[in-house]
Amino acid sequence: MIFNSTPFVVFFTVFFILYWGVFKKNLTLQNLLVLAGSYVFYGWWDWRFLFLLIGSSFLNYYLGIFIAQTQNERHRKILVGIGLLQGLGGLIFFKYYNFFVTSFADALAAINVHINVHTLQLILPLGISFYTFRTISYLLDVDKNKIKPTKDWVVFFSYVCFFPGLISGPIDKAQLLIPQLEKKRVFDKAQFTDGLSQILWGFFKKIVIADNCATVANQIFDNSSTLPASSLVLGALFYTFQLYTDFSGYSDMAVGIARLLGFKITKNFNFPFFAQNIAEYWRRWHMSLTAWLTEYVFTPLSIKFRDYGKTGLALAIIINFTICGIWHGANWTYVLFGFLHGLYFIPLIIKGTMNKKIKKGPKTLLPSFTEFRNILATFILVMLTNIVFRADSVSHAAGYFRHIFSLSLFSAPVLTNLLSTITILVLALFTLFTEWMQRDKDHALQFAPATSNVTYYLRVSFICFLLWAIVLWGAFGNKTFIYFQF
Amino acid sequence: MNRADILQQVNAIFIDILDNEAIVLKDETTAGDVEDWDSLTHIQLVVSIEKHFKCRFSSKEIQSWNNVGEMVDCIAGKV
Repeated sequence: MIFNSTPFVVFFTVFFILYWGVFKKNLTLQNLLVLAGSYVFYGWWDWRFLFLLIGSSFLNYYLGIFIAQTQNERHRKILVGIGLLQGLGGLIFFKYYNFFVTSFADALAAINVHINVHTLQLILPLGISFYTFRTISYLLDVDKNKIKPTKDWVVFFSYVCFFPGLISGPIDKAQLLIPQLEKKRVFDKAQFTDGLSQILWGFFKKIVIADNCATVANQIFDNSSTLPASSLVLGALFYTFQLYTDFSGYSDMAVGIARLLGFKITKNFNFPFFAQNIAEYWRRWHMSLTAWLTEYVFTPLSIKFRDYGKTGLALAIIINFTICGIWHGANWTYVLFGFLHGLYFIPLIIKGTMNKKIKKGPKTLLPSFTEFRNILATFILVMLTNIVFRADSVSHAAGYFRHIFSLSLFSAPVLTNLLSTITILVLALFTLFTEWMQRDKDHALQFAPATSNVTYYLRVSFICFLLWAIVLWGAFGNKTFIYFQF
Repeated sequence: MNRADILQQVNAIFIDILDNEAIVLKDETTAGDVEDWDSLTHIQLVVSIEKHFKCRFSSKEIQSWNNVGEMVDCIAGKV
């Protein structure tokens, strides 16, 4: 079940009425509804994988309790190890087994050793990368005494499968979500309106921008060997818009839906295309994953390598981002994508500016020249690297790069439908402009109460325009999101 | 060396590494309370503290500190 589908609208309407109408007074029943609703939401796709989700919740629930109860360091390590083995083992089996086996065979073939490998016909359980990261962070935090394990199984099971973020994140930490599940939620009109606004903005980005950009990007990437470089630049540009609006659109809807239920879940995007260097970009892009990797991969590695100064830091960053790349999927393109992003940090590490927060002046209509230059340079770097992310294989990406840096860069782009391409480009730029104007807010449609009638009617007109754009330009055929495959 | 001395010396290290004269650490101070104290500067602080107090922390110790007080307790246990 995906957010922009009729089954979800029906499901959520019934859920919402029961949640606030029938079960409002009893927290346990309300949480049981969250749990049951999340399982219906997940099982709608393939009920068989519910066993994996429930089994994982069951194991980690008891592991959390046992870890907190034992003071014996060795026993704690064993318990954490069981949790990691189950979480990472499941992830590796479903997501990477075939990749590792075939890569191993290919490596042997390169030295003239040929072996027969058996690959498995595996379906990747939806959301496994996301809920596994939740359970792992829970166990590690219990082990480090950062949190106490919950003894309320309904709360824990609901935390693991909370449906707004179950399939594509955000990856909520237990510290954030469990206390909210343990506390009575109160319906708040302002929060409800804000949630609805964020859902609308996410829906607009997905239906109008992402799915239309996908049409152009797919056409160019599928024919990249025959198109001029100028078309390939447009392909990379449209794919970058697609990737951002698809994923941030989903995240906006997820955060908005959670708001309707009285939850504040992790913010996943903070207008990443306005970042002024690659480090800032990653602090704004898929923030819940970046935070997760920083805490559980980068920090332990940088502690381990702390005696090697900047070299140790660079090594920790490169490993961290290579893992970030492979987290996205079993393909060498993702490994390369992550590795490249790791490399981009090296100049910042050498200069010592990696974590220097860029001082922001007062909000202005236009960026300064330096800001604009930095934003553009970061965007181009991200856009070019997204070619690797989107390509079917490393050789496809290499071919794309060979073509893009050729003299045909200065020829007119070949496009199947010029008018529609220009329309989509204008809409994408309109989206970016709206987000630029609202960049100090949590999302683009978050407004302070209107102080005059003019402001009020302007906002209503803007909302009407978005609805009109959805009806007029919305691409309603696509039934998936890019990050579902991860 | 007592806890107060350790806290004072740790405070001086924070001022030096984070380049901020205004830092005043208390036992309950956390990373959220000090500007620029993030995952990266945390490692720099740890390295400086280890050098200064001539001690060595394990990864688990470093990651288990929830506030300055716990960091100071850990140092006190080693010097």
